[in-house]
Amino acid sequence: MPAAKRIAGLAFAVLVHFLGTRLLPAFPQRVDVFLVVVTLSALDGATLPAMLFGLLAGQVQDTLAGGNFGLFGFADTAVAYGMARLAQRLVIQRATGVFAVVSFASLLQQVIVAALAFLLLPNPSLPGPLSLLAQDAVKAAVCGLLGMMIYGAARRFRLAAEARRRGRMGRLRLG
Amino acid sequence: MDERRTGYLLTLLLLGQLVLVAVEGARSTRSRTYAEVIGMRLLGPLARAVTAATGAASELGHKVRLQGRLLEENRRLRRQVEEQRLRLLRLGDVEQELSRLGDAVRYSAPLVGEIRAVDVVYADHASWLRSLMLYTGARPAAVNQPVLSAAGLVGRVVVVAGSYAKVQLVTDRAAAVGGMILRTRRQGVVRGSGQEGGGLSLDYIPLSADVRPGDIVLTAGIDGVYPRGIPVGTVVSVEAGGQLFHKIGVAPAVDLGALDQVYLLEHAQPPSELQKVAPDARR
Repeated sequence: MPAAKRIAGLAFAVLVHFLGTRLLPAFPQRVDVFLVVVTLSALDGATLPAMLFGLLAGQVQDTLAGGNFGLFGFADTAVAYGMARLAQRLVIQRATGVFAVVSFASLLQQVIVAALAFLLLPNPSLPGPLSLLAQDAVKAAVCGLLGMMIYGAARRFRLAAEARRRGRMGRLRLG
Repeated sequence: MDERRTGYLLTLLLLGQLVLVAVEGARSTRSRTYAEVIGMRLLGPLARAVTAATGAASELGHKVRLQGRLLEENRRLRRQVEEQRLRLLRLGDVEQELSRLGDAVRYSAPLVGEIRAVDVVYADHASWLRSLMLYTGARPAAVNQPVLSAAGLVGRVVVVAGSYAKVQLVTDRAAAVGGMILRTRRQGVVRGSGQEGGGLSLDYIPLSADVRPGDIVLTAGIDGVYPRGIPVGTVVSVEAGGQLFHKIGVAPAVDLGALDQVYLLEHAQPPSELQKVAPDARR
């Protein structure tokens, strides 16, 4: 995936995050658009760009979040690298596969963030384990659904563009 | 770049982030990084644009819905303004009276200073890493500047990036405010629980102290950040927490989910005599 596409994806994530938070106050608790974009961009299996993009997206998230700077930077870099390595070994052909990968990535990110907060922050005050687990599961499922929808929409758009391009080529040949 | 080198770079990046989190976690006060300031300068205008656009759209819908009721509301508000004016006049008398009495006993009341309205451009009060971003206009905010709403204390500024400022909410897990129970003047420390409900706790109130649900908690003015007398919340639960202190739950005075404008409190200048001997002194 070229850098411009990744940056456009990040801009899209920022916009959706701002809009979502403005319209629905619980939005950041329910879905992590940055993580979805990071995971989708890592699905091409290129570890270095995925990792750098994960770092950038994580730092954007750190800027918006109230915690210590670097929490999401760390988590998103690690998740992006992990998902890129996973994508090198997996062939994802169905949208349900994307759902599984994005949900897994979301769970992984939340576990990393919670573990870092627990280990490094003086007064982490994380929600109770059961509440945290429930929140994480819901967030992972919503992220998975969003990832599946974006992946499906992008694939349909790509196929339609391809068909249009083939149609144009055919007309050119006839002419 | 081969996978081995990518692995090295990954380790380096992760270590860098880890050091950043650890160093900041070890500090007692919230510090800022250049990346955060740059991020705020880039994201702030976008957040402001989204807030303005959604605000304009909702205002349009609101205007259409409320058109019929505007006249009646206008009349009611005019009446309220008149009442408030009268009340202000009476309060002016009371203030003068207090000042005279204060002069008589050589008491100087704490000066609250000037307040300035600023817009909230981004608010995340739901997740456990909650935050609030403000647009302060041409006059930037200052670190540690108290942030208030009409209902009470919101938090303090922790990061300033040009016209944008990030606020540590009073409900943040790392926030601590010197608090005082209005009824008994008993002082303690109000801490943010950081939990989902966004509650507060009032710590270090001894078991012998009289505290009841419904008691109002104000800032005590002992922490060097917040002046005395700003409403922080209301006591909602009192339990015997340990051998020495009560375990007191406090509901915040401010509904943090409904903030679109807040006030920055400018610290009043200290007396000129004090400024001469201690130029950095602050009220």
